[in-house]
Amino acid sequence: MRAIAIVGLVIVCFLFSYLVPLNQAVSEDTKACLRCHGIGTLKKPLDTGESISLFIDGKRFEKSAHGALDCSSCHPGINLKNHPKPKKVTSKKDYIKEFSPNCLNCHPKNALMKPAVHGEIVKKGEIYCSQCHGSHYISSMKEWKNKVSFTEYCMSCHKFDISKTLPSKEKISLKVNEQEIKKSVHGKFQCLVCHDDFSKVKHPIYNFKDKKQYRTEMTKICTKCHTDKELQKNPAHYALSKTASCIECHGYHGVKPAKVVKAMPENQYCLSCHSRAISKKMKNGETLSVQVKESDILSSAHKKLKCTECHKEFSTTQHPIRVFESIADYRAKAKDICNNCHQDAVKKYDKSIHAEALKKGNQQSPECLKCHDYHKVAFITKDKRASSDLCIKCHADSGKAFKDSVHQQAIEQGKQNAPNCASCHNSHDVLPTNIAKLGDSCAKCHKDVKTSHNKWLWNPPVRLTSFVDAHFNSASCASCHTKVEKAILLTLVDRAKGKPIKEEEVAKALNVDTKAIKGKIDQNGDGKVQEQELWQFMSSMKSKTNANLAGRIDVLNPNDAHKIEPKNKSIKDCAYCHNPNASFKAKLEVNKEGDKPIKFEVDSKALNAAYAIPNIKDFYVLGLTKIKILDVLFFLALLGGIAVPIGHITLRILTAPIRRKRREGK
Amino acid sequence: MKKVYLHPLPIRIWHWINALGFIILIITGAQIRFGDAMGLMSFETAVDIHSWLGFILLANYFIWLLYYLFTGKIFRLYIPPFWKPIEYIKSSIRQAKYYGYGIMVGDKNPHHPTPDSKFNPMQQISYLMIMALLIPIQIITGLILWDPQLFSSLAKLFGGIQIVSLIHTGLWIFFSAFIIVHFYLATLGHTPMAHIKAMFTGYEEEHDEH
Repeated sequence: MRAIAIVGLVIVCFLFSYLVPLNQAVSEDTKACLRCHGIGTLKKPLDTGESISLFIDGKRFEKSAHGALDCSSCHPGINLKNHPKPKKVTSKKDYIKEFSPNCLNCHPKNALMKPAVHGEIVKKGEIYCSQCHGSHYISSMKEWKNKVSFTEYCMSCHKFDISKTLPSKEKISLKVNEQEIKKSVHGKFQCLVCHDDFSKVKHPIYNFKDKKQYRTEMTKICTKCHTDKELQKNPAHYALSKTASCIECHGYHGVKPAKVVKAMPENQYCLSCHSRAISKKMKNGETLSVQVKESDILSSAHKKLKCTECHKEFSTTQHPIRVFESIADYRAKAKDICNNCHQDAVKKYDKSIHAEALKKGNQQSPECLKCHDYHKVAFITKDKRASSDLCIKCHADSGKAFKDSVHQQAIEQGKQNAPNCASCHNSHDVLPTNIAKLGDSCAKCHKDVKTSHNKWLWNPPVRLTSFVDAHFNSASCASCHTKVEKAILLTLVDRAKGKPIKEEEVAKALNVDTKAIKGKIDQNGDGKVQEQELWQFMSSMKSKTNANLAGRIDVLNPNDAHKIEPKNKSIKDCAYCHNPNASFKAKLEVNKEGDKPIKFEVDSKALNAAYAIPNIKDFYVLGLTKIKILDVLFFLALLGGIAVPIGHITLRILTAPIRRKRREGK
Repeated sequence: MKKVYLHPLPIRIWHWINALGFIILIITGAQIRFGDAMGLMSFETAVDIHSWLGFILLANYFIWLLYYLFTGKIFRLYIPPFWKPIEYIKSSIRQAKYYGYGIMVGDKNPHHPTPDSKFNPMQQISYLMIMALLIPIQIITGLILWDPQLFSSLAKLFGGIQIVSLIHTGLWIFFSAFIIVHFYLATLGHTPMAHIKAMFTGYEEEHDEH
């Protein structure tokens, strides 16, 4: 049946072909083709539902730039005798793709690549020759350029799905929706009104690094008409225009009048701008995103709040322009917003090592936002691991150490009372570990800790908990409940005031800069404070202050304090510490205001020196910190005690004859 | 030879408890201090014994104190006659001369003990110091070391636990030497066992030759 239909069609074509009026200029070959392809209804339906018209308007073709060419020039190998059988075409685009290379027969690729923009399109192969130039009715480019409007000229390529990949690997679409422009506030504009560096003969190529630069540069186009003066009428909008690109809110070509209806719900009003990728510039040049994702707010603990409940100075009528030195400055001030409701937490935070570090310029140190996020303020989680993970983000070493602990095991076993970081260190008032009284933190959970220790830790004949206290006061819990290296820590204190002497006070007493303290203590700079150096330092301090050294036993590496062992593995042997052989290292700590102390390794022999008596008045561990010179005195005294009788007896033996004679003389 | 009742029973009991206690305290003290070199017992055992004995001797001290306070003899026996200083110094020198020289050449002991004056001048000042000052100090410093937290305010009065320990150790050194000399001196009666026997029986034999 199909064969009959084709033969029938060919016959019909022949009969009709003689009716088609053709100019004599058209070659015989072309005429032959047009006998069939001149029939207006001739088309080929595709499987995709599209259909390709096979009709060629002979007259129009004749007038085209290719009017004098034979069909076989572009469709080589096809003539009446050798017409391909119905071709399987999957889609229009594939058809175009297949036939476009035929153009290259006459238009060599080299020539096409010469104009840079054209070359780029040819190279990328996103669109094909016939898509821009047409297929059978191609007019001369020169004529066409003269004839078409600017917009038509631009759109001839930009109506297609063309794109550009930036060095940042970001892809930007160069497709322009003409209808969108027509509907926009710029509907009557020709492309060149905005893109005035382009023309029918000029097509500059921009080399944007990334999308951000692209947006920023493109925004400059807007300012040609929308001048600073005009924008300054609305300060918030003006400030925004200095950091955000216009297109962020107003779109690219379909420029919308971005008037926000003030009557809309407040959060929606704010989000009209802030839902977009807008940012704010800090004085130091840093850029802060002020984009707010609505989904973040809705999933947050603050989902029921209005924007202005936190951002009190803002409203649908007020949008003050705030100035910040830097992102750090902004983040620090953001705390004031939290303080509106969370005064207690902020007050505690202000005392913390984190607040102090931030004040001193440590950008890594957290403020409210670093832990609680901006708008995605999380609900307080009961997942102990999740809340610890927050700390571990910065304190990775501590997290690693904690992993080995009995406490981590408890968390993993899902025990309700298992501790996480905040259980000991607090969440807001995180203090330097040397003043945080972490022993008290242990006692928060281990409430019967005194009585339980007192079962074995007591001195006969009376079982007193004060004996436990004596140990708790001079050794950290981790000293016995971890298996790591221990040390004697000597903290510089004002004995009269009972407070640590801080770095600044040391500097003042020694009459040096805080940075020079190290050199004043470790004078030979060998990284270890020798006995003599320690006593010299103490002597200089004591001449100005009531300096003394408070001692305690703790883990050598503070991080190891996280490695708490199960109860049955803790140290119960008194001689672990009370032993002259216990080789504990010694460290000197000089406290810093709200920060970790400066630590120096000290020759532990210092603790056994006579100088320790006036300098370490309130710390003494039987056996461990004994004053060695007293041992020598003990042996000398024993020798003396023995020597007296021996000497006396010897004299008595030697003088025995005298006594005998005297008795006899009597 | 006449017998003098020098040592009443409570004093004898006190003395021997004290003697034994001192020796054991000195040894356990050494064990606590020389844990690395001595292996008589563990640190814990040494501390336990030391603490128990400390309290026993504390109670024992009160036997001595109360006995002599109630009998009123404490002043007569232990307080040197400071109102007759020259005489006292002279007799002290005489006594020292006796131990250093006289005893060698066969002189008589210048001091003749009686129940009201059982100590020679040197003993008198020594025992006064020991009983009224050194033992109480050793007891107090011992108590502080026994529970530094309970007695922390006392420790402060001394100037810190380090000084408390220094005093306690210093007196341990002194008592260690003292007890040897004390034992030797106890053998200097008219027979080597005379004084020691007296400490058991209460009666000191006054020998004519001596």
